[in-house]
Formats: sequence, C-alpha cells, structure tokens
Amino acid sequence: MNKVIGAIAVCFGLFCQSLLAAVAEYHVQLKDHLFFPSQITIPANQKVKLVIYNQDNTPEEFDSFSLNRDKVIFANNKATIFIGPLQPGEYDFFGEYNPNTARGTVIVEHQKQKAADAN
Amino acid sequence: MLINTVILFLRDALPIFVLVVYLYVHLPATKLWLLLSVVAGALLSLIYINQIHVIGQWFDGKGIELSLWIYQVFVYLLTLILGYGLNRKQSSNKHYLYWVAGLMVSLILVSKGSNFILYFDGYLNQSNAIQSMLLGTFLGLGICLSLAVLLYLTAQWLKQRLGPWATWSLIHIYVTGQLVNALPLLVQVDVIDASATAWSSQYLVSNEFELGHLFNVLFGYQASPSVAQVIVYVLALSIPLAFFYWLKLNSASHSGHKQ
Repeated sequence: MNKVIGAIAVCFGLFCQSLLAAVAEYHVQLKDHLFFPSQITIPANQKVKLVIYNQDNTPEEFDSFSLNRDKVIFANNKATIFIGPLQPGEYDFFGEYNPNTARGTVIVEHQKQKAADAN
Repeated sequence: MLINTVILFLRDALPIFVLVVYLYVHLPATKLWLLLSVVAGALLSLIYINQIHVIGQWFDGKGIELSLWIYQVFVYLLTLILGYGLNRKQSSNKHYLYWVAGLMVSLILVSKGSNFILYFDGYLNQSNAIQSMLLGTFLGLGICLSLAVLLYLTAQWLKQRLGPWATWSLIHIYVTGQLVNALPLLVQVDVIDASATAWSSQYLVSNEFELGHLFNVLFGYQASPSVAQVIVYVLALSIPLAFFYWLKLNSASHSGHKQ
C-alpha cells in the first residue's frame, strides 16, 4: 500500500513539475523577409516557446521540416510556436513564401552551466 | 517568386488533386457532386480566410491549429463512412456517398486552399511578382495535373483488377497520412506533448525534396516522425481495415447460411 501511495506521489510530483516548469521564451523578428536573429540557440531536452513577430506588410509561413513545424504569421502580427524537447544539433527553418531570404537555424546544445559543472 | 509558387502548388494543391482523382475513380456514376463540392469548398475557404483572425484568437491563440486538425479528423471519419457504404449490399440507397465525397473535397479545399488565398492575397499587389506568380501557377498546375492523370490511370487499373476496395484503400491511406500530418499542429501549440522522434530517414528520402513531398501527399511520409505519429498512423490505418474485413466475412457467412 505504501509503495502505491509513494508511486502516486512521485507521479503527481513529476506532473506538477512539468506543469509548473517555466517554458523559456525566444523572440524572433521578421523584417524585409529576413529573420532576426537568424540563429537561435536553445537548451537540449527542453521545450521552448518561439515568439515570431512579422513586421512586414505581407504574411509569411514559418516552416521547418526537421522541427516538423508549419505556422502562418499574418502581416504585422505575431505567432507562437512550441518546439522541443530536442537532441543537440542544428534545425533549419525558413519562410515558405520567401524561402531564399527568410532562413534561419535553431541550434540546440547542452546548457553551459552543466558543461561547467562537468569540468 | 516563380519557384515559391511552384513549391506551394506541390505542397498544398497536390493533396486536393489526389483526393479528387481517387474519389472520381471510386464514385464514377455522376460528376455533379464534384463540381458542387469544389464550388462549395472555394466559398468556404473564402469565409474561413475572412474570419481567420477571429478563429486565430480562439482557445488562447490555438484556434487555427485546432480548426485545421478538426477538418482532418472529419475527413478521416467521412472516409470510414465511404468504407461502410461499400459493405452495404443495397446499391439503390447509396446516394449519400456522393454527399460524403463532396464534403471531403470541400473540407480538404478549406484546409489546403486557404494557404493559397493567403499567399496570393499577400503578394499579388507587388507589381514585380505578378508575372512570375502567374508563370509559377501554370507550372504548378501542370505538374499537379500530370501527376493527377498518372494517379487516375493507376487507380482505375487497380479498381478493374481488385474492385472498389482497392480505390477505397488508396483513399484511406491518403487520408490517414493527412491526419498524421496534422498531428504536429497540436504539438506546436502545446495541446499535446509528443515531440519524441521515432526515427530519422532524412538521408534516404528527405521531406525537403520532390520525392519526399510526393510520398508525404500519397501516404503521409515523414522523414523524422514522432512516436505519437507512428502510433496514430498504425492504429488509424489498421483498425478500420480489420473492422471492414470482419464485417465482410460476417456478411459472407450470413449470406452463406441463408442459401
């Protein structure tokens, strides 16, 4: 019986932790069909929130095959996309309506704090 | 702008062409439903785009993703009704299947076609873009029509050899693929948590290339699918197949008993 209660408590704790854990926000501007910054570095194995502001007078579609994301951002508007948890690596994204200019990369790497601790 | 328009056609118009061709082969008796459903779909797309800012505000900014996902669920459920229609013996009372097919085309037009309206509405007013966009439209339409003719001939050949279940299976595979493609929409607005990747076959066939696009449209190919996508794909594909096979066996044994 105690084991069952313990297991439920652990599950509840993990559930609450995931609920309470603050999701880090990253902001990207889209201007003249270019992403600023074009490289976003995020921590590995964590879900993050990407807020994209379209400052152009035309709509754009944020698209990424490796991230499996696809979202229209209306002219002079913003859009929010959740990405991750991801393995370390580079994940390209682009604007579907202007793929030659609107390009960027999400760089996923282990947090520096952990690397410092390891040293 | 020319190549962007062509790619947009491959991504968003090709799924419409594929579904129309499959349904055209599957339900050949009358073509009026097709014309009506295309007109209805175009009108619904315009209404959807007109209200998209309002829909986008629903459910804490998740309205567009949720609505697009619901469209795909409806199309999947309508495919099951088409399959159930094949199981029924009475051939006289099957007119509702044309309504079902028409609704499927209209819903796919809304979910895929709205992207076109956004694109053309946003960029047609740029004076330097009109010529290349028109050229891209002709090229994109040409590619989609060529593929549609090839698929039509293949589906027709399969139907003649294996019967109407063959074309229904093609529709079922296509619709299951579209349903699975819509799953990341829920992940990106944090409705479900399903980012764990099952495998990566980017080095074999990448979704960025033409073959990846085509496979994605035909059977929902993903170079790096999530575990949730794989599970949903297998279940959504196999459960109706098993159910209809069981129904067919059941009805066959019943008719055997009567004789």
